[in-house]
Amino acid sequence: MAATGGGKTYSFKVVLLGEGCVGKTSLVLRYCENKFNDKHITTLQASFLTKKLNITGRRVNLAIWDTAGQERFHALGPIYYRDSNGAVLVYDITDMDSFQKVKNWVKELRKMLGNDICLCIVGKILLLQTRFSGGAIVVVYSYAESVGAKHYHTSAKLNKGIEEMFLDLCKRMMETAQAEERLKGNGASQSASSRRGVQIVDDEPQATPTGGCCSSG
Amino acid sequence: MNIPLQSAYSFLRHTYLVTTGVSSAVHVRVKQSKATSPMKAGHRRVLSDGDGKLSPFLPPEVFQKLLIEASQNAGKKVLTPIEEASRLNQKLKAKYEARLARLTPGQANQKTSLTLSLDRQMMENLIIAKARQDALQRKVEERRLRLQEAANRRFAASGAMTAEDQEQRALYTNVLEYEQDHDWPKQWKANIKENPDASIVLGLVSYLLSCSDHPVVQLLRKHQYRVYNRLYPIVSRSHLESASLSLNSSHRTQKFLHSGELLFHFLQIRTTLFPISDQLLSLCLLSFECLNTASYRDLCLASIEEAFFTPLWSALMALFRKVHREREQAFETSMRIYCNSSPGDIGVPSKLFPNDPELLQGSYPYKAAVQELKLLVQDSCPQRKLECIVRTLRLICAYAENYRCHNESDSTPKTAAIGADDLLPILSFVALRCQCPQLVAECAALEEFIHEGYLIGEEGYCLTSMQTALVYVESLLD
Repeated sequence: MAATGGGKTYSFKVVLLGEGCVGKTSLVLRYCENKFNDKHITTLQASFLTKKLNITGRRVNLAIWDTAGQERFHALGPIYYRDSNGAVLVYDITDMDSFQKVKNWVKELRKMLGNDICLCIVGKILLLQTRFSGGAIVVVYSYAESVGAKHYHTSAKLNKGIEEMFLDLCKRMMETAQAEERLKGNGASQSASSRRGVQIVDDEPQATPTGGCCSSG
Repeated sequence: MNIPLQSAYSFLRHTYLVTTGVSSAVHVRVKQSKATSPMKAGHRRVLSDGDGKLSPFLPPEVFQKLLIEASQNAGKKVLTPIEEASRLNQKLKAKYEARLARLTPGQANQKTSLTLSLDRQMMENLIIAKARQDALQRKVEERRLRLQEAANRRFAASGAMTAEDQEQRALYTNVLEYEQDHDWPKQWKANIKENPDASIVLGLVSYLLSCSDHPVVQLLRKHQYRVYNRLYPIVSRSHLESASLSLNSSHRTQKFLHSGELLFHFLQIRTTLFPISDQLLSLCLLSFECLNTASYRDLCLASIEEAFFTPLWSALMALFRKVHREREQAFETSMRIYCNSSPGDIGVPSKLFPNDPELLQGSYPYKAAVQELKLLVQDSCPQRKLECIVRTLRLICAYAENYRCHNESDSTPKTAAIGADDLLPILSFVALRCQCPQLVAECAALEEFIHEGYLIGEEGYCLTSMQTALVYVESLLD
């Protein structure tokens, strides 16, 4: 394939994980509704959302998959994660049990997808005054670092930190995708990575050079 | 339990009978096979109309015939020179006989000369036809060589050739040959170039799929027949297995399909199926380069998969149901026990369904979604089944929103929309009410055969949620 021009669009799948009461829904709704406050809510409401971005001149399509936080639906969790490029794991900073759940999910995601998936751990703040106890904040940050995740504090109510968090996640997913492309270019097996990971789609209809080799092969 | 299969079968059979126009064709064939091998119960049952024990599956050779005859353009055949000559000769002979009948008994020598001249004419016709046929044959061969070279040039860049490459090259030669004989591909190509538009692309693909002599369609039919041929012995046998339970045990062990064996067949069929749509798509794109853009490729693939899977789905489903029998049974048990439970019993928050039974007027919550989901088993195209699941989830979201607004009418309406935490319990409730254990196998098959491009988007999300809800329903009694 030719060197990457500006003509490609990245499609990323991001799963949203968190216990029932931590407010995943309002976080993602805030993100997808905020800037373009029109048609970004699909008919599936907050369960499945899409967002189109333009990052450093590259187009990015995000598909955000909400997952059920209840334990009883976890038997099939892994089929939600399949082929994910990123995960946003949400907990409530006043509820350390919800943080424990995040740790379990991180373990599961790393086991299933290795280092190909970019993680964001998000502590949800309801009010600005809410503070961690000093010990907890150290624990949380060092944990996030230890598993290669970024940690953020966000508040959907105050619309704080959400945009930055997703932007950073997208940039990291693009880096991962580009690294994978380079690897492919170096002659690594294409079939191994074609099913999983980023899907790079050709852009607009382009004139196929006549007499060239078939582009589907 | 077999009702959907049977209706699919009767649809197939109906199509077959209509397209052949010979209503007794199936029966004649079946009667013959009954006479020779009375133990072939699969065939015998096709015969036993009306007693409720129809085998849902046609024998592979009937299936193949049906596929060919279902294509619209099958009838248009061009005669070869020799066929043409023998037709002409028949006419001459008829004329000769008519003239002979008019001769009086005294004109015997005239009869001899008429006979001689007929023989001579007929012979001449055949010789000329033979020469024409040979010339044509040479021409066809020359052309084929020429096109083969063209195909080779096109594939030259790919370097080392695998067996698949070689097959693809031969198929492409067939495409070039077809295009020499037919004008429509050129017309459509010009059409699309002039006016690139999704509806024209769909028109082209559906036209292409209706041309049974086009190499793409021939490849499609070949694969369908191959897959059906593999499925038939398994699904017709597993059908027997349940039917023969009342027979003596020696019969049973003879016909019993072991689960290990079943799994082996299942995996084999799966690996057979996997590369087929890719091969069909790439031949399609080779034939029509104008389709080779991201969005047209998707349209193309969807049409190909629809054409490919629709006639095969009921047999595939029989296999999947066999493989997932235990899951279906668990689902059925939950279904029986929870059939009258309220959404609250399945964990739906009370704000998301009407608490006042009066409001439902004898119905139950989310009934529209249940009715939509019930339609899933009636379709035999995976893409349309997937759309049915999407519609079901959309209906759920719309109704949930409605119920919530109603429940919260007095307080200030909250902005939070329905997320997965709410969606999955409702979906589980809807799946329970749907009363259709076959959903388990249907969704498993969809996951297997829906093209991965769809699985990142809304369709994939809906299918994944549906499967999660089904597993939850199965586990309700654990």
